[in-house]
Amino acid sequence: MTTPTSMPTLTKMTKVEVVVSGSDAPAVRDLIQSIGATGYTSLSGVSGLGHNGYHQGRLLFNQQATLELIITVVPEGKAEPLLAGLRPLLDASSGVMFVTETFVSRPDYFS
Amino acid sequence: MTTTTEIESRRARLRADANLAARVVPTHYPLETFIAVNPLAGLEGMPFEQAIRRAGDLYGMPGTLGEPAFRRRHLDGRITDDDLDRALTGRYPNLSAEPDLQLGGRTVSPLELLRADMLHGLGGANPQRRFLTRSEKQAPAVADEVDAQTSKWCAAFFGGAAWPMPGREKGFYSAWRMLAPSDRSVPRPARNELRRAAERADDAVLEGLSRLGVEDDARVVYLQAHLTRMPGWAAHVQWCAGRNAGIDALEYLAMRLTYEAVLLGQYRGGAALTGDGGQAEIPSARQRAAHLAAVPGVATAGEAEIAAAARILTALPVTAREWLWQSAFEGRYRDQLLTALAAPAAPEAPGPVHTQLVSCIDTRSEGLRRHLESLGGYETLGFAGFFAVAIRYTDMLGGAASDLCPVLISPSHEIHEAPAPDGEAAAARRVAGVTRMAGAESAFHAAKQAFAAPFVLAEAAGWVAGPLSAAKTLTPAVSAGIRRRLRDAVAPTAPTVIDLDGMPHDDQVLFAQVALTTMGLTRGFGRLVVLCSHGSTTENNPYQSSLDCGACGGQAGAPNARTAVAILNRPEVRAGLSSLGIVIPARTLFVAAQHDTAADRITLVDRHLIPAEYRADVERLDRDLRRAGAALAAERCSVLPGAGRELSPGRAARHVATRSSDWAQVYPEWGLAGNAAFIVAPRAVTRGIDLQRRTFLHSYEAEVDTDGSALETILTAPLVVAQWINCQYYFSTVSPQVFGAGTKTIHNVVGKVGVIAGHTGDLQLGLPWQSVSNGDRLLHEPLRLLAVVQAPLDRIDMIVERNPILQQLFGNDWVALAARDDPAQPWQRWTRGGWRPWADKANTDNVHPTHNEEMVP
Repeated sequence: MTTPTSMPTLTKMTKVEVVVSGSDAPAVRDLIQSIGATGYTSLSGVSGLGHNGYHQGRLLFNQQATLELIITVVPEGKAEPLLAGLRPLLDASSGVMFVTETFVSRPDYFS
Repeated sequence: MTTTTEIESRRARLRADANLAARVVPTHYPLETFIAVNPLAGLEGMPFEQAIRRAGDLYGMPGTLGEPAFRRRHLDGRITDDDLDRALTGRYPNLSAEPDLQLGGRTVSPLELLRADMLHGLGGANPQRRFLTRSEKQAPAVADEVDAQTSKWCAAFFGGAAWPMPGREKGFYSAWRMLAPSDRSVPRPARNELRRAAERADDAVLEGLSRLGVEDDARVVYLQAHLTRMPGWAAHVQWCAGRNAGIDALEYLAMRLTYEAVLLGQYRGGAALTGDGGQAEIPSARQRAAHLAAVPGVATAGEAEIAAAARILTALPVTAREWLWQSAFEGRYRDQLLTALAAPAAPEAPGPVHTQLVSCIDTRSEGLRRHLESLGGYETLGFAGFFAVAIRYTDMLGGAASDLCPVLISPSHEIHEAPAPDGEAAAARRVAGVTRMAGAESAFHAAKQAFAAPFVLAEAAGWVAGPLSAAKTLTPAVSAGIRRRLRDAVAPTAPTVIDLDGMPHDDQVLFAQVALTTMGLTRGFGRLVVLCSHGSTTENNPYQSSLDCGACGGQAGAPNARTAVAILNRPEVRAGLSSLGIVIPARTLFVAAQHDTAADRITLVDRHLIPAEYRADVERLDRDLRRAGAALAAERCSVLPGAGRELSPGRAARHVATRSSDWAQVYPEWGLAGNAAFIVAPRAVTRGIDLQRRTFLHSYEAEVDTDGSALETILTAPLVVAQWINCQYYFSTVSPQVFGAGTKTIHNVVGKVGVIAGHTGDLQLGLPWQSVSNGDRLLHEPLRLLAVVQAPLDRIDMIVERNPILQQLFGNDWVALAARDDPAQPWQRWTRGGWRPWADKANTDNVHPTHNEEMVP
């Protein structure tokens, strides 16, 4: 177990993870950039089970029909605008969103 | 007080709403990579019938041919009474249980009554655009002015003219905001207001919506009203999103809404629109019954008889009749096709197969395959024309790389063309020659577009340009031959190879395994296996890309065929395949070719890489490809305007070659017109049947695909692309005013993005009228795609279950699916409730009651 004294100083941020279909992913990425997030991580071809049953993962020749997981980390001040924009998008799609507190060691990377 | 967070949140919500609104708009690709798209792709989450009603509300467009057109087809015998009866009983399975009626002294069954209404009934309504902007409702002149400004500024931004739009590099909205206040086509008071437009596009949209009184919960619909007003420009803006092109839906809407708010605020003109804009009144069931009872020769019907007939007619709303016609129209083709496919397979040609030819699934390949097979010794297969190699390709001349793969995926590998060993000197000559020609051409065009140079150019070059133009018009074949020889003299061809360094060995083996397994070619290899790509050679045709290979991103596919061949001929790759159970004999040679679909000329590529011991095989192949091409040309000439119906193969071949080089020809070829089905099965199912170049053919052998991965790939990619093509042809035909590009004769090209009709207006979507029709005679029959699959039904179920895109396409009737386990079984129809015999017409997903009092108009 790491002792508090050995821990570097960490800064609290908000992590937002979104799973949407590949065709909806550009709108999510656009929104993330528009609120001033400095970046995101995107993983295409994810599979899973949800409201609409099992969803196949990687398809050989179709990246638009598969699910995509998009992760971003933003300072708290940017979380609210991001969530405000994501809600209507997800209300109209079959995607899901997870919001959690997270800690980063280099806050200047994210703000 | 509004905090920064609140402002940012409002902007983010607006951005999300703009993205949602833009979903109803198609994506328009630039001309160089023009590919087919479903213009209603954003509505595929709805059943087809509902989606086109919605599209009618958005665009004011019809979703099928009109009743008069269907009734003409009934008169012509293309749609029969039986077809109509099957469509009616499919929708109303309880109809036969209803008692007969008396009408004017005649006994009439309910089915006959409904059929009579289809054939002779009153009514029919033209769809009207219902989602209107404030200016459309209050001041149509302002709406027109907003459109005119939109067209002007979009043309300036996208046009790529010799004088680019000042400030373009800062993005569309910023450049427009800088220039619009100085635009004297707008009244001075309006210009003063434009000067105060918000600095940010999102703030301008918020301000415009506020001034126009649009509430937040009505925002998406209102933005859609603006986006669908000029769908062409909006569709190209949609393509630009995410491509760093300096414009997105918000910037486009910011300009439109600012103009609307400003101009409407200052409008002092005439009256607003009232009522429904002239919507024709839909007749009541009683009026329809009385009309049917009044046909000549029938005694006057009593009130009770008319009431009884009206009761039956209530089940069939006037607005549903076109749907029933569409079902009947499609049903006849589908039934005939499945009957033909159910017949025992034609015996294979005698003698061993010496050559396999793998062509694209494109409908035009079907004719080539049929004619080549008829010569004996050939087996043909169908596969997506990028041959499973998704590449970013740079040719020997350098320049911009091309993404040669379906737009559903991104290229996986960078592939370069390189001089062949010992070919460096020839390559250098070619590069130098092409550079000289490009320089001369560039100088010529620059001079044409500069301010004063055209006058000098006319003096200096007119003496040669004039006769050259006359020669191109009067003797296109001779002129093309001279230009070709001139080109070859200045820039002689040089032998080149595909450099595979950009693709690791393991990826090459994986590609080879996937490609061969998916097409079902894992044994029985011939001495030659030809991978035949396709492209189209036409002159003066902005829509050339629409005739090239859709699987190669709207470009010719020879580089893909060459890459695949280079991989499959590598001994190391074959060794890798052998360890996976696919043994390609050492004597088998893969060869690349390209089918010019306008001239029906099939050319072998990279001949210098073919070893001498195959010379006799290649000579035979050349000869047979010439014969098959000529036979196909003769077949095509029978439907090409002005070609002559009964040309010999030789004359036909000469005719299509001339035609393809004629710069005045608006019908160079028919492309994929007529497409109506997508067949996934071994060739044995279709061999020997003339499918009239209407079917996409994808080879598939269920027994070599035990886990279903190949079938899943076929259904989630080639089928999806085929459905886009099918929908593009469909909507270009039934709704040419919105989703067709109009007549080619008045097209003006705007930069590289598209065409407009005349000198201003909206960017044209879809296909030109000459791609689907010869004058008033439609060549393309607008039928939705039928997918026909020979594979275990439980395997298909498994694939559909885990792929929402397929549930959507099949479940919402964008594509119908017929399948059978093997040739011994009858065809089955996929429904949400499970498989049903194809012959059972009742549509269990969409049963309608024979009585529905709520439907009484």
